[in-house]
Amino acid sequence: MSATQTSPATNARPTMGQRLEPYVSFIGPMAMIIAILLFMAIVEPARYFRASNLNQILLDAALYMPMAMAMTFVITQRGIDLSIGSVAALSGICMAFLIKQYGFSAPVAALIALALGAMMGLINGLVITRLKVPDLIGTLAMDLVYRGIALVIAKGLVLARFPDLITEIGRGQALIYLPTPVVIGLITMVIGYVVLTRTHFGRYTISIGSNPEASDMTGIDVDRHRIYAYVFMGTMAALAGIMLTGKLNAIQATSAPYFNLHVIAAVVVGGTSLFGGRASILGSLAGVLLLSMMINALVTLRIEFFWQSVASGAVIIFSVALYTWLQKKDRDGSAGLAGLLSNPRMSKTYRLAAVVLAVLALLLIVGWMTAGDVKPSG
Amino acid sequence: MTATTLKTAAEGKQPVVSMRGITKRFGGVVALDEVDLDAYGGEVLAIVGDNGAGKSTLIKILTGVYQPTKGTLELDGKPFSMASHSDAIAAGVDAVYQNLAIADHLTPAENLFLGSELTRSVLGFKVLDNKRMRKEAVDTLNNRLGVQLKSMDVLTESLSGGQRQAVAIARAVRHDTLRVLVMDEPTAALGPQETARTLQLIKSLRDQGLTVIVISHSLDDVFEISDRIHVQRRGRCVGVVTTAQTNNEEVLSMIVGAKTTDQEH
Repeated sequence: MSATQTSPATNARPTMGQRLEPYVSFIGPMAMIIAILLFMAIVEPARYFRASNLNQILLDAALYMPMAMAMTFVITQRGIDLSIGSVAALSGICMAFLIKQYGFSAPVAALIALALGAMMGLINGLVITRLKVPDLIGTLAMDLVYRGIALVIAKGLVLARFPDLITEIGRGQALIYLPTPVVIGLITMVIGYVVLTRTHFGRYTISIGSNPEASDMTGIDVDRHRIYAYVFMGTMAALAGIMLTGKLNAIQATSAPYFNLHVIAAVVVGGTSLFGGRASILGSLAGVLLLSMMINALVTLRIEFFWQSVASGAVIIFSVALYTWLQKKDRDGSAGLAGLLSNPRMSKTYRLAAVVLAVLALLLIVGWMTAGDVKPSG
Repeated sequence: MTATTLKTAAEGKQPVVSMRGITKRFGGVVALDEVDLDAYGGEVLAIVGDNGAGKSTLIKILTGVYQPTKGTLELDGKPFSMASHSDAIAAGVDAVYQNLAIADHLTPAENLFLGSELTRSVLGFKVLDNKRMRKEAVDTLNNRLGVQLKSMDVLTESLSGGQRQAVAIARAVRHDTLRVLVMDEPTAALGPQETARTLQLIKSLRDQGLTVIVISHSLDDVFEISDRIHVQRRGRCVGVVTTAQTNNEEVLSMIVGAKTTDQEH
């Protein structure tokens, strides 16, 4: 009401910051993508910028696009789904068995896989909203359940060699340059954007994440829309399961590990807030691309495979901390990191850190002094 | 809205809302005990009372959030009962709560239409008509409340307290069927300037023929805007006074229980 009676009808031009605000989630990962590109252009341009390598990056990213899109909805509602890897594996296994053991045609089996994914998402949603199990524990437990069922069904088998439709979905070249899975992934992203901005479900997703009580009071069926999000998530995880099966032309019960953390990392890096209400589909797309480029860069640089996990974790921590800092309204008085470190309230924490390090050093010294002969386990 | 105003004027002193013998118990606690309340069209009725006097419970019953243990409600002389807050909205009774019930991450227009979005049909699919909602939100804010926001495209969290409240009020008055607007502590979180604007806004809503019921702790505000004052004390109504015929001390003594009156309007 501050600009009421006096100001004319013209809308004042928003400031630069206000106009940029909606795009921060896209600019952040984009800046990191450009940083990786620049770094790789200096260090390893020949192998990183080969057409086949860029194709490989897109192919890796495509697998995560549908899941990142759906996870954007789940996280925006203040939820989380840790079961997506198992949902993908179980739907893939079921589809594989229907094709290989029971002679189902590929399109029917693929659609059944999607329906199974939706059903698993529905179970997740019911566990969370009806049984009131917190989403973190609920989906973690269902992750064990789905993975266990997949192991029971597959009994350690690797199912391989599928009809052309499945491999086309997983690694075909629909257009000359774009692989089929990338086309599928981008289509799901566009669908996600339309759903978020143009449908009741999208609108209520933001309002539920922003203020669940207010949403309830306005007559929105909060639980129903939360279930919708988990069903959406399950379906997209099953789609990823089909794409994975096609990509490797093989599936086993232990496929798709750490899908959950990879996808959550991509969504969070893309600026969707873990505290709800802030969604960015475009950011999730950028996040997926960023993670794939980063992992590919590590491979290209011949860094040991196991460092990937370290890098992914570091990116999650860095981006969440950055967004939290960006959303802080009042940055006066904190004087940045230096101010935080010199804060007198930190002194006890310093003492604790010093004690932990001292004990660790002491034990190492004692161990080294009392060490006997080395007996290699091999 | 003008049609409604004329109708209530023609019907004379028929109350828009009347609550009779409302009792509400929570377990063994009697929150309300045989409370009567009448509110007329085009008036501001203030409900005052100490903490725990039953003000909030009373309006929560009026807006369908709670159901009374005993007692009846009438709207335009016809008995009605509600199972939920949405029933109350459908019947023309809406509330603006202290915490405003706004989703901070939506724009003002999106908040205004939250829960009852406008849609258009594209290839047989119903999609949200964001353009029309934005335009109608601007119209409602401008025509009904005389409020113009600098930008309709920012998130509601970036607006000031008064602007946020204007959005919450606009959401309630947007319904053409609205007869009764209940406001819980509308000025509690506002500075002096914004308080003055909000009080002005309440008066203009009254002049549009609405029944406005205001809960407030600020007797200054109550005396500025209200036509009648309903005083609650320990779950009972200890009197209803006409604002013009009373003063601060009398109402205060009724609130603390030093004096009771049965002076009915």
